[in-house]
Amino acid sequence: MEKQYWKGLEELQNDPEFVKSKNQEFAEELPLDEIFNSKAENNSVTGRRDFLKILGFGVGVAALASCEAPVKKTIPYLVKPEEIVPGVANYYASSFFDGRDYCSIVVKTREGRPIKIEGNELSAITKGGTSARIQASVLSLYDSSRIKSPLINKSAASWNAVDKAVMEKLTALYGSAPVVEDKKGKGAKGKDAGTGKTANVRILSSTIISPSTHGVIGDFIKRYPGTKHITYDAVSFSGMRMANEASFGMAMIPSYRFDNAKAIVSFGADFLANWLSPIEYSKQYVANRKIKGSNKTAEMSKHIQFETALSLTGSNADERIAVKPSELGLTVLALYNKLSGNSGGGNLAKDVEKAIEKAAKELSENKGNALVVCGSNDKDVQILVNEINTILGSYGSTIDIATPSHLQQGNDGEVMELIEDMNNGKVDGLILYGVNPYYTLGKKQAEAFKNGCAKVGLKVTFADREDETAVIDGFIVAPDHHFLESWNDAEPKKGHFSLTQPTINPLFNTRCAQESLMTWAGSNWTYHAYIQDFWKKNYFHEGKTKEKHLMFEDFWNKSLQDGVTEMVAEVSTENTKDKPKAKEAPKDKSKEKAAPKSLNIDDSIASVAKSAGGKDFELVIYEKVGIGNGNQANNPWLQEFPDPISKICWDNYLALSPGTAKSMNLKQGDMASVSAGDYSVEVVVLVQPGQAAGTGSLAMGYGRTNAGKTSSTKTKVIGVNAYPFTQVVNGSIQYFVGSVTVKGTGKTHGLAATQTHHTMMGRPVVKEATLAEFRKDGRAGNKQEMIKTMDQPLKGEKPEDVDLWASKENPGHPRPNHQWGMSIDLNSCIGCGSCVIACTAENNVPVVGKLEVIKSREMHWMRIDRYYSSDADVKEGSEEKKDFTKMEIASEQPKVVFQPIMCQHCNHAPCETVCPVIATSHSSEGLNQMTYNRCVGTRYCANNCPYKVRRFNWFKYADNPKFDYNMNDDLGKMVLNPDVVVRSRGVMEKCSMCVQRIQEVKLVAKKDKRTIKDGEVKTACAQSCPTNAITFGDWNNKSSELSKNALDTNDRAYHLLEELDVKPNMVYLTKIRNEEEAKA
Amino acid sequence: MRNTILSRLKFLPVLLLFSFIGSQSFAQDGAALFNGNCVACHSIGKGKIVGPDLKDIAKRRPLDWVTKWVQNSAAVIASGDAYAVQIFKDNNNVPMPPQNLKPEEVKAVYEYITAEGAKAPKVAKAPVAGNNDEMPKENNTALYLLCAAVLLVVLIYFLGTALGHLNKLSRQKQGLPEPPERSVLGNLWFWMQTHKKIVAVILIFFFLFGTVKGWYVLWGLGVSQGYQPDQPIAFSHKIHAGDNAINCVYCHSGVEKSKTAGIPTANVCMNCHKAIKEGATTGTVEIAKIYKALDYDPNTQTYGSNPKPLVWNRVHNLPDLAYFNHSQHVVVGKVQCQTCHGPVQEMTVAKQFSRLTMGWCIDCHRRTKVQIEGNHYYDNIKSFYHSDTLKVADIGGTECARCHY
Repeated sequence: MEKQYWKGLEELQNDPEFVKSKNQEFAEELPLDEIFNSKAENNSVTGRRDFLKILGFGVGVAALASCEAPVKKTIPYLVKPEEIVPGVANYYASSFFDGRDYCSIVVKTREGRPIKIEGNELSAITKGGTSARIQASVLSLYDSSRIKSPLINKSAASWNAVDKAVMEKLTALYGSAPVVEDKKGKGAKGKDAGTGKTANVRILSSTIISPSTHGVIGDFIKRYPGTKHITYDAVSFSGMRMANEASFGMAMIPSYRFDNAKAIVSFGADFLANWLSPIEYSKQYVANRKIKGSNKTAEMSKHIQFETALSLTGSNADERIAVKPSELGLTVLALYNKLSGNSGGGNLAKDVEKAIEKAAKELSENKGNALVVCGSNDKDVQILVNEINTILGSYGSTIDIATPSHLQQGNDGEVMELIEDMNNGKVDGLILYGVNPYYTLGKKQAEAFKNGCAKVGLKVTFADREDETAVIDGFIVAPDHHFLESWNDAEPKKGHFSLTQPTINPLFNTRCAQESLMTWAGSNWTYHAYIQDFWKKNYFHEGKTKEKHLMFEDFWNKSLQDGVTEMVAEVSTENTKDKPKAKEAPKDKSKEKAAPKSLNIDDSIASVAKSAGGKDFELVIYEKVGIGNGNQANNPWLQEFPDPISKICWDNYLALSPGTAKSMNLKQGDMASVSAGDYSVEVVVLVQPGQAAGTGSLAMGYGRTNAGKTSSTKTKVIGVNAYPFTQVVNGSIQYFVGSVTVKGTGKTHGLAATQTHHTMMGRPVVKEATLAEFRKDGRAGNKQEMIKTMDQPLKGEKPEDVDLWASKENPGHPRPNHQWGMSIDLNSCIGCGSCVIACTAENNVPVVGKLEVIKSREMHWMRIDRYYSSDADVKEGSEEKKDFTKMEIASEQPKVVFQPIMCQHCNHAPCETVCPVIATSHSSEGLNQMTYNRCVGTRYCANNCPYKVRRFNWFKYADNPKFDYNMNDDLGKMVLNPDVVVRSRGVMEKCSMCVQRIQEVKLVAKKDKRTIKDGEVKTACAQSCPTNAITFGDWNNKSSELSKNALDTNDRAYHLLEELDVKPNMVYLTKIRNEEEAKA
Repeated sequence: MRNTILSRLKFLPVLLLFSFIGSQSFAQDGAALFNGNCVACHSIGKGKIVGPDLKDIAKRRPLDWVTKWVQNSAAVIASGDAYAVQIFKDNNNVPMPPQNLKPEEVKAVYEYITAEGAKAPKVAKAPVAGNNDEMPKENNTALYLLCAAVLLVVLIYFLGTALGHLNKLSRQKQGLPEPPERSVLGNLWFWMQTHKKIVAVILIFFFLFGTVKGWYVLWGLGVSQGYQPDQPIAFSHKIHAGDNAINCVYCHSGVEKSKTAGIPTANVCMNCHKAIKEGATTGTVEIAKIYKALDYDPNTQTYGSNPKPLVWNRVHNLPDLAYFNHSQHVVVGKVQCQTCHGPVQEMTVAKQFSRLTMGWCIDCHRRTKVQIEGNHYYDNIKSFYHSDTLKVADIGGTECARCHY
């Protein structure tokens, strides 16, 4: 029995709409009726003769107009900066951190403007990986919705006015304020000591991992005693910090080492996409998932995931068990009991019990190499997880508490206290940095926050846009730079330092937040000077850095050039001490490897045990891979980025399992009203296989009313805000809520889903095998495809036996120098979609908007297909009437496969032979070339492409007010890659294998008079991949990394739709799952 | 006595002549010495370069002081000479390096400066606006042809009328019936109907002519060969690249590194024009535009805070859809600039020399040999084709994605 794959429930259930469109290739119907409708012809304004007249006139005018070429101006630099050569890109190492994600990056700039972000391979943490959000952050720089100057009372003001206003209020509070002088670079630090008065100023910020910023805040506190710094994360890890404080005496978050783990059990931790440091963990995770060496000795880690909503991590797991969010704690407890030998535990469903047993077995077998992680923000659950990890001996091997992570320092308790204090009039000043609490807090807290604001005298926010909080009356907005405009440093993990450097002059009249704080504290230093001074004092000590530098300048320049630097020995964290207690960990203790003190966990057990929810409907609030916590909600790239699981863009939705939806009498696309407590939203329903029964999930980050033109137009806001559903339980914010009522409203709403677009007509395109099968047979799951015909199978003829193009006598066109190609390891691909955004940024792929996506007209050159599969039997019927009934149950819990697909660059390309104007042709290096200026838009090529990777420009997407995204915006256009053409209306486009990068490297090699080294060319997708699933190279180079994955050298290698024998240059490697023998 | 005087007077012209020659030769030595040693830092009446303007130096300082100064300025300053100290201060404490000149040589220079300074100051020729545009002359041929055609029509009309009258008269004389009264056009129509073959030939001729002409017109659409726009600064490649033989790459420094050769930035101009403040043809007017753009004051040698970029008119415009890389052609292909840009060193105003059409590119790629020798990048190709004489087109130089992506 062959495994069945399906792209969406429409296909699985043989939805009549889908069956109709399944064999149609194009989701859209051609408007033939309209054209041939006699009525339309009679009524049409433009008759045939008029049309011909207009045509003739048009041709004449066009010919005349083209006679006169417009005069083009060219403006050279007056004084050219030494490092800039117009036309040549410069790269600067920097660091991304937005309060949530950390990534060490390299910024590509052209003529002084950043156009692309790539991973920094020198970083020991992210190791050259990136994510979709980080790739897209370069576009957020050119967001025209950013604040252009400081605001007082919602109207533009000068920085002097802002400083004056802030200082006046501080003077009122403290009796005196320092005199601010003009900035003259490295001046004297503020000597004004203040009056000794204290006042209750609060700095509320998102997590700050910059030691220098902590220093700046420390200085501010010193000048204004009584000031307190509170950290608030929209997505909080407060529970985990509290648990670690209980278990180890320090409120910290350890470093996880997924690369040391042979058995991983995750309870709702989406560590490949959203949990703590996903890029780092993706790299580590895949290190143990990749197949290395012979198939006989192949080893893979085992990954079991318990979760509610189908997450990216869950879809990559070997086993995935759906549990209700209220039962997650019980599940952890059950595992704890199993491992510790205790009896008892909750009354869990049988399949969960079974899975727990299995998980316990796997973990105990791999003691010392096992890892249990949990995404719960409940202190008691996390304490149990700590206990489990202690039993398993994870500390010291898979969990490193000696090197704590500095991410996610949020302290929910302090935030709630702050809101209370504000309402009690105990807060005199409030400075917001990197937070938008009115939007991200739960309903009750958000209202309280707003009310409290009225009682605070001094209110300042460093928001980069007039966000939901900044428009509250009385806020002075002192806009911060974008991270690509400012200096900063970061210590994401103890001992791992990195620097952020500006790659462009500030676009608007903004000032970096640190400089604002320094100014108000009476210092006229620049933040750049401050960081240098800070580094000189704290990190530049002989022997502390890995490399020895005699001069500070050498150390600084090296750190800046690399972007990252590591300290071997411990360094002073004096200035960061007054920050979260995490850093106050006694040093001798942190050196101990794994000696968590035993604590009485009975309280925790009791607390967890009673947490079981009833039979009520429960709602989970989660982060989507693209939009995340919503701070980049105005980024059109991220809005149009299809969610890896649901494949839906431009919306958030209530995901229900097929069974739940059925019982609620809801269909996909129905609007439902969801309410819990006093908050209620109307949101569209998505039927999502894999969702736990009796639960729904709703993504945060949407429903932003004040993010800017992409996410909130005057008439429409994208999605609904899910944050108000969060509530504070057990001292921390919980991202699920019970007792939710869901009611259909009878309305419907269009969802822009890309998965059923560009279908491959149900042909087998993903190949997979279990590890056990693979050990027995390297070619497991990778059968040689034979030619099939409509009537009967041929006698075992291989595809290459019948060839239209080449024969033994005529072997086809030579590839004398290069034959570019790519291999994509389905086993490594986690489906994160970093490559999709990287491709968009590199190749000027336009954003088309929701309505066009609904019409299947998205322009992404690269897509990640998501296939569901199950092992259930399918009764064979006629092609139209396959009986999928038995798969119904399985469809609640499907297996997921991700498959990145872009142009396969077929050497015998079907598209090339049908182009009437030879606009698509083949190069001697194996590239399938697309020549836009030659294309007349017949779309024959797209019709003939078996992979459906060609995209047609239905409109001119640049400079078109109908597509008011980044390309209709002088600022947004600055992100365009000047080496790639912006395509116009009516032409076909597709993946070019980043030919501009190939040509660039070829030229460098030619100038150096040498051959190209393997790995020198990297396409945008391959560069951005956090798991190195994509390998680009030259098939002609037999020693290249790519050649190891050739069809004849790697048993897992196969071509997509091999039976067509179009000889693609792309190769896929089968997915191997570490699961028990296939049931079938 | 008279004789003697007379005889003496006789020699006077000779003496004068001698003395003149003598001073002239001194002045000439002085000129050579000045140009060899001083001109890099000093001018005569043209303002400060690095050191002060030396015009009227004789009025300011005696020769022996100047001699001491030239031979060792540091010693003069050290001696506490007030004037020397002041000069040193005025020039930002940049010492004048000691010159290896003998006192008589210094004297020659001193006299040369005095003589040059006495000459009437040159008045900079203000260029007549648009004078050096070298715009192509209006082509009047069409106008002449049109006049000729009108003349011809008029002539035919009169001749026709005369002929008609004559015909009428002769018919009257012969007693034949009057031909029907017809207008001129009617006559023409009658003639055309009676001479169909001739009309056909004429029509075919016009059709063919029109087609061929139209074809060429269409062929030239969007081609701006010969395009020679005015520029904000009347920069002459002839003076720079031709007369002064400055290498193209000195100013267009991007050509070996980048896809664009680059319009030189104003700071590159200043490398020379800090010293050369006056040109041979346009005087100071055009050079002053550079100073203005940079907000540079040539007298105080300081840069102001209000620079304004120069906006040039692009001469060579490739459409966005074509990717062209200069460094590929110049460094790897070893193509001379003139191959595509023509004799730039003879152009007063830069002009598009080549057609810059795709056909023109392809033609060259078909003709041109690849520079395989010594470049290991081509090793695979060399061993594949066993040939050293490959043309660019042979190794994929005419494939679409080499230029279009």
